Amino acid sequence: MIDSLYIAWKYVSFYKARTATLVACVTLIAALPLALELVLEESERQLLSRAESTPLLLGARGSALDLVMNSLYFGDEVPELISMRAADDMDASGLATPIPLYVRFQARGFPIVGTTLDYFDFRDLHIAQGRQMALLGECVIGAEVAERLELKPGDTLLSSPETLFDLAGVYPLKMKVAGVLARSYTPDDLAVLLDLKTAWVVQGLVHGHEDVTRTQDDSVIIKRSDNNVIANAKLVEYTEITTENVDSFHFHGAPDDYPLTAVLALPNDERSGTILRGRYLDTAIPYQLVVPGDVIVGLLANIFRIKNVLDAVILMVGVATALALILVFALSLRLRQHEIRTVFRIGGSRLTIFRLLGAEITIIFLVSGLLCGFAMIVVDQYSAELVRRLVIG
Amino acid sequence: MHARVVFQVILWVLLFTSTLATGQGQVKVYTVNYPLQYFSQRIAGQHADAVFPAPTEGDPAFWQPSVEVISGYQQADLILLNGANYAKWVNRVSLPRRKLVDTSAGFRDRYIRVTVDATHSHGPGGEHSHAGTAFTTWLDFEQAAAQARATADAMTRKWPEWKSDFSRNLEALEADLLELDKQIQMIVAVKPDHPLMASHPVYQYLQRRYGLNLKSMMWEPDEMPDEAQWAALARALGDHPARWMIWEGEPNPQIVKRLQRMGVESVVFDPAGNRLDKGDFLSVMGQNVKHLKRAYQ
Repeated sequence: MIDSLYIAWKYVSFYKARTATLVACVTLIAALPLALELVLEESERQLLSRAESTPLLLGARGSALDLVMNSLYFGDEVPELISMRAADDMDASGLATPIPLYVRFQARGFPIVGTTLDYFDFRDLHIAQGRQMALLGECVIGAEVAERLELKPGDTLLSSPETLFDLAGVYPLKMKVAGVLARSYTPDDLAVLLDLKTAWVVQGLVHGHEDVTRTQDDSVIIKRSDNNVIANAKLVEYTEITTENVDSFHFHGAPDDYPLTAVLALPNDERSGTILRGRYLDTAIPYQLVVPGDVIVGLLANIFRIKNVLDAVILMVGVATALALILVFALSLRLRQHEIRTVFRIGGSRLTIFRLLGAEITIIFLVSGLLCGFAMIVVDQYSAELVRRLVIG
Repeated sequence: MHARVVFQVILWVLLFTSTLATGQGQVKVYTVNYPLQYFSQRIAGQHADAVFPAPTEGDPAFWQPSVEVISGYQQADLILLNGANYAKWVNRVSLPRRKLVDTSAGFRDRYIRVTVDATHSHGPGGEHSHAGTAFTTWLDFEQAAAQARATADAMTRKWPEWKSDFSRNLEALEADLLELDKQIQMIVAVKPDHPLMASHPVYQYLQRRYGLNLKSMMWEPDEMPDEAQWAALARALGDHPARWMIWEGEPNPQIVKRLQRMGVESVVFDPAGNRLDKGDFLSVMGQNVKHLKRAYQ
């Protein structure tokens, strides 16, 4: 057997191109369904576990999927905005604890999640380094953000402008990293979490600047009266919140009207949850209250429907590849008649020919198996990230 | 030997149960001013530890707590806010929303708007302004009772097992506050138009509730007013002939003497926003009522 393997090895290593093609075909046809299975399993794990642990989600009427993907997995698609009043109303109902969310901005490619401290308790997030955010302008970053951006408590992180050419937009905010979260293997690992008020500072709704009633620079003033001062765009807003300027930060307009992307609703009990859902059934109300688990189950059903189609395609491609392989080997037998005759002449039997061919096929499948295994390790390693990019977006 | 072991086991069990019992009373209620600390401690009794961590110097309304103090607030079981834009620092820090209770939300529509004001400074809080919303809500004792009720409601929602204790303690506190309310009403009813001066614009709710004929200056008890401020007082006394000036704290003797030369006596009505050196909220308010009575005699 060793002799056959040796001769087969010599043969396959001599015809490198042909061997490489065969190995690639076998590897691909084996790896594709396995990789797909791994990615889908990871999608299901990521999507379902988080969705099932979130009882209810309030947002603007529109795509429930966008709402859930943005609020639970911090997807790029920002749903229609609602106002802080929605959270206050829910609080006033006494039926559920609202946790407001504002997931709209990014910092160096990672989503900024504006929320309240209740979110940390709800998701069971713990600080691994540093401390909890305490002051306006501070943030807490996920373990993966800290690792990739090489950030630690005390460092700073700039928010990214919403659009590259937004010349009239607000200045990026230099946020202070107060702490790093312990790894939770959830989308929170990839998030920059900050207080809602700081998220509004990022947007420019809450801002700080020099006291216009006392400024010596008249070029920043358009109009001054006894009880009002109108400043122009030359008035520079602070881009970093420090102990010296924090007192100058102020809200413009009523905080009730400030924007949110969603409100996580934690009902007091099942009955409260049912009553609450009933209140948002009226289509005249501009909000929808969704059960994230139901939305994700619907999404997964679609994904698995697509998977079935893909499986069928892969099966057909697999059958075609197998037939092609048989053809390749059959043709190679014809091409190798000269070699086969030589084997017979030196006393080899028909069995020897089969053993040689079997050894070649074994080597090809063995190498393919190794490559496939390696590919699976790589896919498994990056499946969480792959799911975040491909499925969650 | 056996008896000793049994005795030790009983001792440990007793120690363990007493620790558990003590642990039950260790819920933390953080507040943003002294009146709320007083109210919450009286209502909670031995069940909670009411904490107000501001330094005793300065006005807590303009205080900025350190990160360590904020961390204490974050870990509290309940955080009682005064509302009426009191303690602006609350808007600049991260606190758990579900633990926050605005004790004056029930009478939000009756907040007093303060329109014109200049900034000034006193104490370690630095420069500040009273423009915006008047915030010494508890100086209207009916409102103070409403804040006490909101405190009791929040505590009952949080710890329903102690409801009866909270209700009993609230009843006693309400009775005390409404007694103060009644006393001031009776004092003012004698001379409803009696003109008074206030050293600082912090008595808006007291003025509205009891119908005081009051005008406010922008003076500090420990800072000698400059000549412009004295002149402003003289002008104000021209059309508001007050014979008494109400102070937040004991005024500087030199100010008292100069006021006396102008025919104005000084009397303290301490809003008690911060922790007190001696006495408690009720005893200080009792003193305030006595002082007010002097001003009306």
